[in-house]
Amino acid sequence: MVKQHLQKMGKGLVKPETFFKKVRKEIVQKNKRLNIFISIPKKFDVKTKGKLGGLPVSVKDCVCTKGLQSTAGSKILEGYVPPFDATVVKRIKKEGGVIIGKTAQDEFGFGTFSTNCAYGTPKNPIDPSRSAGGSSGGSAVAVASLSFPHISIAESTGGSISCPASFCGVYGITPTYGLVSRYGLIDYSNSLDKIGVMGKNAWDCALGLSVIAGKDGLDQTCVGETKNYTTFKRVKDKVVGVPKEYFSSAVSESVQKNVWDAIKFFESEGATIKKVSLPNTHLALPAYYIIAMTESSTNLAKLCGMRYGLSLPIEGSFNEYFSKVRTKGFGEEAKRRILLGTYMRMKGYRNKYYLKAMKIRTLVINDFKKAFKTCDVLAAPTMPFIAPKFSEIRKLTPTQVYAADVLTVAPNLAGIPMMNVPCGTHKGMPIGLHLMADHFQEEKILGFAGVKAWRR
Amino acid sequence: MAKIGLEVHVQLNTATKLFCGCRNEPNPKPNVNVCPTCLGLPGSKPRINEKAIELGYRIAFITNSKISHKMFFSRKSYFYPDMSKNFQITQYEIPLAIGGYFDVEVKGKRKRVRLIRVHLEEDPARLVHVGGGITTAKYVLADYNRSGVPLCEIVTEPDFKTAEEVVAFMKKLLSYLQHIQVFDVKKGKWRADVNVSVPGGNRSEIKNVGSIKDMEKSIRFEIMRQTHLVKFGKKVDMETRTFDSETGKTYTLRSKEEEIDYGYIFEPDLTSFEMSKDYFKKLDDSLPELPEEIEKRFRKDYGLNHEQASILTYADPALAGFFEKCAKTYNDHKKLANWLIVEVLGFLNSVNKEFYETSMPLRKKQFIKFLELMDSGKMTGRIGKELIGKFIASEDNPEKLLEKEGFSVIKDELKVRRIVKETVSEFPKAVSDYKSGKEKAVHFIVGAVLKKTRLQVDPETVKKMVVEEID
Amino acid sequence: MIDVKKVAGVARLNLTKAETKKFSKEVKDILKMFSELDKVNVSGVEPSFHVIKTFNVVREDRVEKSLTNKEALANTEHKEKGFFKGPKSV
Repeated sequence: MVKQHLQKMGKGLVKPETFFKKVRKEIVQKNKRLNIFISIPKKFDVKTKGKLGGLPVSVKDCVCTKGLQSTAGSKILEGYVPPFDATVVKRIKKEGGVIIGKTAQDEFGFGTFSTNCAYGTPKNPIDPSRSAGGSSGGSAVAVASLSFPHISIAESTGGSISCPASFCGVYGITPTYGLVSRYGLIDYSNSLDKIGVMGKNAWDCALGLSVIAGKDGLDQTCVGETKNYTTFKRVKDKVVGVPKEYFSSAVSESVQKNVWDAIKFFESEGATIKKVSLPNTHLALPAYYIIAMTESSTNLAKLCGMRYGLSLPIEGSFNEYFSKVRTKGFGEEAKRRILLGTYMRMKGYRNKYYLKAMKIRTLVINDFKKAFKTCDVLAAPTMPFIAPKFSEIRKLTPTQVYAADVLTVAPNLAGIPMMNVPCGTHKGMPIGLHLMADHFQEEKILGFAGVKAWRR
Repeated sequence: MAKIGLEVHVQLNTATKLFCGCRNEPNPKPNVNVCPTCLGLPGSKPRINEKAIELGYRIAFITNSKISHKMFFSRKSYFYPDMSKNFQITQYEIPLAIGGYFDVEVKGKRKRVRLIRVHLEEDPARLVHVGGGITTAKYVLADYNRSGVPLCEIVTEPDFKTAEEVVAFMKKLLSYLQHIQVFDVKKGKWRADVNVSVPGGNRSEIKNVGSIKDMEKSIRFEIMRQTHLVKFGKKVDMETRTFDSETGKTYTLRSKEEEIDYGYIFEPDLTSFEMSKDYFKKLDDSLPELPEEIEKRFRKDYGLNHEQASILTYADPALAGFFEKCAKTYNDHKKLANWLIVEVLGFLNSVNKEFYETSMPLRKKQFIKFLELMDSGKMTGRIGKELIGKFIASEDNPEKLLEKEGFSVIKDELKVRRIVKETVSEFPKAVSDYKSGKEKAVHFIVGAVLKKTRLQVDPETVKKMVVEEID
Repeated sequence: MIDVKKVAGVARLNLTKAETKKFSKEVKDILKMFSELDKVNVSGVEPSFHVIKTFNVVREDRVEKSLTNKEALANTEHKEKGFFKGPKSV
């Protein structure tokens, strides 16, 4: 759909004004029911030229858009209008992409079900009583529910692109850490955050990636190359590793079955299956959360009612004022993570938690490096279950919520690229296959993801 | 004996800030050299300045410190209204350099001050306290022009015993930093945190002392305050204090019991650093000449004595360079040095100005011309001394100035003789005294002639003429 | 043992008594999950602060365009005479 739309736009066969009028009508209407967007620009900056000429693009709210409110899903940034575009937004606009809105998310990325969004919870379009996943829930709902050609720019720290993509039955690519510039991304955890793309098929994601990826002088950790990802290589003679730790009893049977079916399909296309082990997988969850919370607790310190965002009348000493604003502006999960993150880097605890987790990360990376010596990609389930109902989520303790990330945290911790491919359903709800590859090997993943049109 | 340690923060002489491309330049208008990064806007990222790293390493070189080839940056978290991010990007575990020393001369004796570390960090915003001082203000106004300016922090061991030692150290350190061009006294600022303790009491820290005079006064006051408390059996609290230059006293800011836990983490938005041997060799080669080398050269190559060489090297950051530039084309080096030291600096001292603050550093040709006017006899030495102040203050070339002031040497010999004849006739007593053997009597007449000619004649010539006239 | 009240103070968060109690319990649970790492021997393992070791990325010391004063102050109502207004520092 996207490919044809771009071709038509390029040839002048689509009237942009008429098209975008319809776009606006649809997003306003669907937003009422599904809570996709936090902000919709008053006017679309319609272009028709470029690799994304005339393509509607939605952007997760933690990615800064100049002149358009960017809240990262939090009340403490209500009204924050950045005076600059994130690099990815700049690149999209340069190639003719049209920003149609900022999608809803868990506050600062803190969550697996987008239930921590201060501006309303996005709902799974297949079954609105269920979660759309998180933290990039709004982006996944946009891709899954909007009828016009469109891609969404999302972000992942521990699985925030893969999880909602899995729950909503769409494709979502999380690139290698450092491939895509983080300049303009409102930080969750700086050594873990990656900006990626969600779309209805692998080609759409690849196109988006080709536009946003590559070195950026504004982000000193961005070292990747810009290249064209839309040509997919064949999977014949490639090796698919299947890590045994990802098929434990924690993963539901229906999920395992659907994922195995997909893996067997690769085999029928000429790939070889290899059983591998990633023995430090169980350590990834605590290590991930320790690093994510310690880094994010420093990132959130700047939010104190000075210069931008939520503020109160200036009264009292700075300690009193800062505390009042932060108490009012942060949601419960944010407060919980700030407390833990602050504690785990304090004197006496820093070695036990923060430094230890950084060393565990090395072990997790080494596991993957070893597997990729003999495998081209790894295949596993993305999430241990289908999208849960909101009524079920309400009963979960924080620890149980964190545990839902068990399959996505390890690749995210290692910063390797990964992609969710919708490979089946159970009770009508989508199941996701997770493809992973070594650093900067996105093409290998896309080759497998693009081997057929998976989505029903 | 008191124990004093310093943490000196010096603003580095770069064009841009430490983590962004905003100008590193003071501006009376607030918040004009600002961007998303130094304002701490969500989504912004730091980008480290290569020049700041280079200047930091230069400081490490001249302080004989052990250079870290590998280093990285850390986040130091604490809340304060002048912080753009409520964490400061600094160096904690691995600074630029450690364990150096800096030798100073105090009352003729050499003293070695040991250094703990040298590291880079960013400056916070500038606060204006409205409706009172730091402790009594109603609210603050913040100017982020200063936010993100690169600082080099130099931390000493508590090796100082007196305020004199600290003053000597600071004067020499700042002069060195100017010489190696890491600090520009015209636009950069420095400040120090001073730690003071006396035997029997705890250590207190005087924060943000911004001038050498204030350092001297605050140390003296603090030693006195602490000694007094100990003498009367009272406790000297471990605390952070502030110095008020108006009252000359230090006051409590906060107690050290409320010591902040900075929760350091590695700064993930910057890469690690591992500098090559090649990098350090290039740095060493490009290091500007150290003051000691300059002083030696002035004695050896220009025949100056120890005092002259020392003053020209240390009295002002622009003086040594200026002397040398002039010395290339003006060969009477002793005269050059003398005029600079005695007359130029003498005048500037009397009007409380520094040499570098005037336009003098750019007026080598004119200054040489000034000296040449005296050498050729077109201007007398005495007039030179009279006019030097005006010469410095104006932008005029010396010939124009001489004419303007009407001090051109009277070339017309006949005119001078006429005045001499006239004057001699006015002093009959002096003439008769001279005739009766009092040679010195002629000076009265010479003086009168000089007065009439407004010094535009050479005294020796006048004396000769007067004697001739009388005889 | 984590003193939630103390940490909240450090992090500038005001918690009610009920919140302190609730967070204390939850945080204790979560830390128990994290203590899984205590059993692991990491001697000789280097920390990975970054997933891919990158070195020496620097920026040239060249002036770039700044925001205007108006742009800088646009996101707040707390401003006065071109300055940002803030709470007192003591």
